[in-house]
Amino acid sequence: MVRVNIRYFAVLRERRGLSEEQIETSAATIGECVNQLVVEHRLGLPVSLIRVAIGTDFADESTPVQEGMQLLLIPPVAGG
Amino acid sequence: MSFILSFEPLALEPREHAEAGGFVSFEGKVRNHAQGRSVILLEYEAYPEMATAQGNELVEEAMERFGLLDARVAHRLGTLNIGDTAVVVQAAAAHRREAFEACEWIMDQIKWRVPIWKRETYADGVSEWVHAGSAPAEPHSDQIRFERQMRLPQVGDVGQTNLQNARVLLVGVGGLAAGSLPPLVGAGIGAIGLVDADLVELSNLHRQTLFASSDAGRQKVERAAAFAKRLRPAIEVETHFEALSETNATRLVDSFDWVLDGTDSLDTKFLLNEVCRKLGKPLVTASVHQFEGQIMTILPDGPCLQCLFPEVPPDHCVGTCATSGVLGVVPGILGAMQANEVIKGILGLPTLDRQLALVDLLTLDVTRLERIFNPKCPICSGSERSSALEWDLQHLPTFDFDLIDIREIDEQPNLKRPHQRIPMTSCYEQTFVRPTVFVCATGRRSFRLAANLRAAGNRHVFSLLDGLCNPALK
Repeated sequence: MVRVNIRYFAVLRERRGLSEEQIETSAATIGECVNQLVVEHRLGLPVSLIRVAIGTDFADESTPVQEGMQLLLIPPVAGG
Repeated sequence: MSFILSFEPLALEPREHAEAGGFVSFEGKVRNHAQGRSVILLEYEAYPEMATAQGNELVEEAMERFGLLDARVAHRLGTLNIGDTAVVVQAAAAHRREAFEACEWIMDQIKWRVPIWKRETYADGVSEWVHAGSAPAEPHSDQIRFERQMRLPQVGDVGQTNLQNARVLLVGVGGLAAGSLPPLVGAGIGAIGLVDADLVELSNLHRQTLFASSDAGRQKVERAAAFAKRLRPAIEVETHFEALSETNATRLVDSFDWVLDGTDSLDTKFLLNEVCRKLGKPLVTASVHQFEGQIMTILPDGPCLQCLFPEVPPDHCVGTCATSGVLGVVPGILGAMQANEVIKGILGLPTLDRQLALVDLLTLDVTRLERIFNPKCPICSGSERSSALEWDLQHLPTFDFDLIDIREIDEQPNLKRPHQRIPMTSCYEQTFVRPTVFVCATGRRSFRLAANLRAAGNRHVFSLLDGLCNPALK
């Protein structure tokens, strides 16, 4: 198990009900990690529609999860 | 003659129209004060040939624009006293709203377009010629208007000229446009295009502050154009009271230099991204959700919106202002940031090209992320949709399948083959057990639908390449 920081944006923040949290995960990749969060918290979007950034760079979902990572979960936003 | 100039007191009798449900007659009066000074006398002078020609032209325009049955204008010339009638505008229409709107529109247009001047004589004996309408279009007035920004070394004469030569299209005239339009007009952008098919609603007004309460029920594009003209009468404004669609997008975007996406639909945002990419137009796109927003500047040579989100998300999946709520000031700020991006882009200053800014207005955190080209982007990867994705069918399949026309119910013509009609939005709520081929006008919507349903785990859905144009349907 590793500890990872998660930051939620837009509709994900709304559905999760918070902006930021630290989680413990057994996921091997960040894609798996995001999928677990989507299922557990019913975030209502498939992983394929959520972009993940580590720090200030977008990352591929196959990137291995590492202790202390800061993951940003960014969904599309529609409102105008 | 619909436009009359007269040295005599005005007397315009209404003409009878059996079909008219509304007749509005407006009288403009000489009042005893102007800009804080006490007025005792007014004198009107015109360049009569031109004033009559312009006046008749704008009355005809009003007839067409508002579908009037009749419209007439009489304008006084010569010396008038306090309380005299200076102008009469009459409009008859089937319904009262058009008659009211037409009268106001005609009055505004007279002030902007018709060469009539007035000389005000004040209580202190001084008199001055003033243009009957807004500021006169004298060349040196621009010098004064833009003085404070031209002082910036990054603007100067050259930058100001570039701004005044620029044509900017606003797609969506709502909360974001309420933030972007005033600073764009104020900065001296030469021409603005406005695209929106909506009417002003009361629930818009907390964030769409271009509009007044009395604008409820009127076209957003027309009211926004009036706002722009009030701020800077010399600006050129083009209004399109229609929604951006696959059919009109290229035509609407083509004559502009910059495009601002102020829509609230993911479908339109991705369509605009594709069209701007095809036409090589820079696009500034922004969206808001509750207390936060996203903004990016997409230049023709940089990564696009679909590099960020390769799969076009269905519209209902991420919440809207109507379902999730939004603080009114949020789109205002993001819209102002869009205007800032366009102005910087025109001036050759750094923009959010290749970046995505996430703006949190609860904490005032701005997170900037580097956007990169994505090999999965169907637009930028260079691969044709048909070869890249197996479910974009070149022909109707040989196996047993259901054919579903996903266009809106009123779209013509009907397919000649047996089929069902289920509009795209309803398809998302259905489960397709049998192999299913979707068809739309061009193959674009059906492709997105199939792609999204596949992403959601449905393996038996297909899109017919080129839609109705596919030879298999002829």
